[in-house]
Amino acid sequence: MAQALGQPNSPVVEMRDITKRFGPVLANDRVSLDLWPGEIHAVLGENGAGKTTLMNVLAGMYQPDSGTIRIAGEPVRLDSPAAALRRGIGAVYQHFTLVPNLSILENVALGAEGGFVLDLAPAEAKVASMLADFGLDVSPRTEIRHLALGQRQRVEIIKVLLRGGRVLLLDEPTSVLTPGEVQSLLDLLRRLRDQGVAVVLITHKLGEALAVSDRVTILRAGRNAGDLGPDVMSGADRESVRARIIAQMFGSSPAAETDDSSMDHLPSVIPTPPRVIPTKEESRRPSRRRPEEPRFLADARHDRGAPAAARDEPTSETLLSLRNISTLGDRGAPALHDLSLDLLRGEVFGIAGVDGNGQKELGEVIAGQRPVTSGRVLLEGADITNRGVAAATRLGIGYVTDDRLHEGSVAESSVADNVALKSIGRKPFSNGFWLNRRAMEQQARRLIAEFDVKTPGPHTPIGMLSGGNIQKLLLARELALEPKVLVCNKPTTGLDLRTTQFVIRSLREQANAGNVVVLIASELDELIEISDRIGVMYSGQLVAVMPRAEADPETLGHLMLGGARRPRKASA
Amino acid sequence: MTRALSPSRFAPLLTSLAAIAAALVLGGIFLALRGKDPLAAYGVLVSRGLGTSYGITETLIRMAPLLIVSAGLLVSLRSGVWNIGIDGQLLVGALLAGVAGAAIAGQVPNPVMWLIAALAGMAGGLLWALVPGILRVRWGLNEIITTLMMNYVALNVTSWLVKGPVKDPDVVPPQTRLISREMRLPDVAGTGVHVGLLVGLVVVVLVTILFRHTVIGFMLDVVGRNRQAAIHAGMPVNRLTLVALLASGAMAGLAGANDILGVKGLFQGNWNPGYGFAAFALVYLARLNSLWLIPFAYFLSFLVIGGEMMARPLGIPTYFVEMLEGLMLLCFAVAAWVERMRSPYARAEEVETGPANAGEPPGPLISEPLLEPVARVAGGPS
Repeated sequence: MAQALGQPNSPVVEMRDITKRFGPVLANDRVSLDLWPGEIHAVLGENGAGKTTLMNVLAGMYQPDSGTIRIAGEPVRLDSPAAALRRGIGAVYQHFTLVPNLSILENVALGAEGGFVLDLAPAEAKVASMLADFGLDVSPRTEIRHLALGQRQRVEIIKVLLRGGRVLLLDEPTSVLTPGEVQSLLDLLRRLRDQGVAVVLITHKLGEALAVSDRVTILRAGRNAGDLGPDVMSGADRESVRARIIAQMFGSSPAAETDDSSMDHLPSVIPTPPRVIPTKEESRRPSRRRPEEPRFLADARHDRGAPAAARDEPTSETLLSLRNISTLGDRGAPALHDLSLDLLRGEVFGIAGVDGNGQKELGEVIAGQRPVTSGRVLLEGADITNRGVAAATRLGIGYVTDDRLHEGSVAESSVADNVALKSIGRKPFSNGFWLNRRAMEQQARRLIAEFDVKTPGPHTPIGMLSGGNIQKLLLARELALEPKVLVCNKPTTGLDLRTTQFVIRSLREQANAGNVVVLIASELDELIEISDRIGVMYSGQLVAVMPRAEADPETLGHLMLGGARRPRKASA
Repeated sequence: MTRALSPSRFAPLLTSLAAIAAALVLGGIFLALRGKDPLAAYGVLVSRGLGTSYGITETLIRMAPLLIVSAGLLVSLRSGVWNIGIDGQLLVGALLAGVAGAAIAGQVPNPVMWLIAALAGMAGGLLWALVPGILRVRWGLNEIITTLMMNYVALNVTSWLVKGPVKDPDVVPPQTRLISREMRLPDVAGTGVHVGLLVGLVVVVLVTILFRHTVIGFMLDVVGRNRQAAIHAGMPVNRLTLVALLASGAMAGLAGANDILGVKGLFQGNWNPGYGFAAFALVYLARLNSLWLIPFAYFLSFLVIGGEMMARPLGIPTYFVEMLEGLMLLCFAVAAWVERMRSPYARAEEVETGPANAGEPPGPLISEPLLEPVARVAGGPS
């Protein structure tokens, strides 16, 4: 890799001890970051590690609660994105901020410094030459809506550069791109670096970070967890750098300065959840559970003899099959690509993956909530592809979304209404036309008692309840429908220990009764604890499926970041 | 039933009452600036509007179409559909009702004629809502724009029809054939108020039952409150959206028929009662609660009738009452904002989304209306 170390001897941006809190969440805790001109600086970390917050602080979106930012040695206050841009800092977000029905030229000129009158003529030639330079074969007069996502992203970059941006912040820039586009974006970033721009690359994808970065900063749970300089990035061999980064992202201590390239010597990997204050996290998380597993788990195994895992061929026990599923995400970019999976009766199938690699979409496809563009979904051999949520629910597929408040429930509606939400058109809640309010209320009371939900009563708006209690109700609602297949997306996020245990036990029981549970989770320990088999998703594909016995956090973490499967039999 | 007595049930009304009080005070200031004594003006308003049988009768007659229109608007707003096209739907409904009624008047028993005219009116309103409905459901076009534009189309189409194709050839002014007084809706026994008021009350009660006791009403509420939750729950979101818009259009058409059959007897070119705006004020003041429409409809009708009666002796333009309505909506918006800021939901949501998105809070990112149709398509086949 090009060294590109002809830097001047001072950083262009120095962020020192940046702290930013959102309510009870400490998103950034005394984080520091230096940016040098002419470098590509990757900021890595798990979901919730504080990467995006840090970037938003630098981009002027948020004011830090404490800490200082210096630009070219001078302390500054960036109280708006415009202020940041005046200082030469511009951001390109995952969600683009271009106006779709204005032209490229207008978008670039929009909001630029200058008077009230918009004079596009002088800018046009410059924009045209930059477009050509950036490999975009379009006229500046083209409307944004005619451009593909990758092209729009370049326009965003041009916009920043034309306003004098010398520090370019890119938040997950490759998440919307096709593999070919990713390559050319990375090439573009290298060119910008060579022109002296400081490029900040926020990413989950380790491969990309390794390919282009001169420097890597690792955040974990809102704190600096590691910093690899150009000497390391250009010197040591890939594999050891990769191991070090994984250790720092997931590891229990950011030490481990070994040059050992074997993954097996990584420190034990315990993902840390976002620190919520007050915290009980320390007591909550047993380190590596292995030797003594919870009783219910041990029982479960015993009951079924051998675990249902380790079977690669579909058998008569297959309950749900996904065959070559492809689908698009909310933004129209491919989210799942040719994914096949057989789910077996009586198993909890865990899905690991960094957010945004298609897990949510997979859950939605199973639940009938997201149409597939190709492939088939078979429930007990019957084709239920694209039949919709109502049909899937009727046929025995349940789905607990990770978005409790905005998707799973109607905040202003009562607990009773929310409990009846998914089966309102059926007995006992209605005869298809008239509601049976009493049945709704009874069911709510029953679930409140059974699941120990803290609520003043069934008529309380569900939005008044705490997150954990809403989660219990949503789970209870699905379980009450006695689903054969239950998909749960991060069901334990933000729950206390007792509720977490309760949720896990409920899911395990559901599987023990011969049903399938698909558990999407980001906490690997939990996933390993409860799942019979674990699949890892990366870029819309199941890159690996393994029985629980073969799963450990290091292996999963490696695969989640796009690492290749180490030589074991690959399945799925 | 401790629930019925709990203060929270009527707390939302306080916001409305505060908004009305504030609007009256602001209106009083305007009057004072114009050199009128506000207390005297409001005194006349009340004494004429509430204190005379003429005032009360006129108020009740005026209430009927307002109740019907606002009940329909309530259905659409509770379903999250912004039907700004009430006025146009009402005009089309009124014209069809006038034409249908006059065509068969005298040839069939009056109740049959009323029924047919009312159905024609509803069909007209429904038809006028159908276009925006299809545009919304098929292509995701914003119904606020399309229903608004359909108002202008309605205004011109009805005015053209009444000047040509459906004009009464025996008279000079552009109007439909007159339905004679004895063939119009009778008065409620012992009053000067035609039975349209009863129709209005029945419609309000039906809408109340719809939302309290039927599956479709339940689903409409869910779609209105949280569309994504409705998709998640497998509800036929598009169909429900269309139903809500069509129902409110049909009710606007019914209100038009009501005015033709009860008061006017014919459709005149350039007639445009403009109930739509009052209906918005009404539905918001009633906090989307259908039964509360009744007292507020009475109040707004009283303002209009009392305002007309106050206008001449005091020299206050009748526009003053329209201004009051506008002020009420403005004050209501402010009051509702204050209410929301103090609501426990706001806090609950903040606490809830905090940890879930720790470190990466709901971004400062611009929402993407462009992508909405994509999300909608991806969201759910109905």
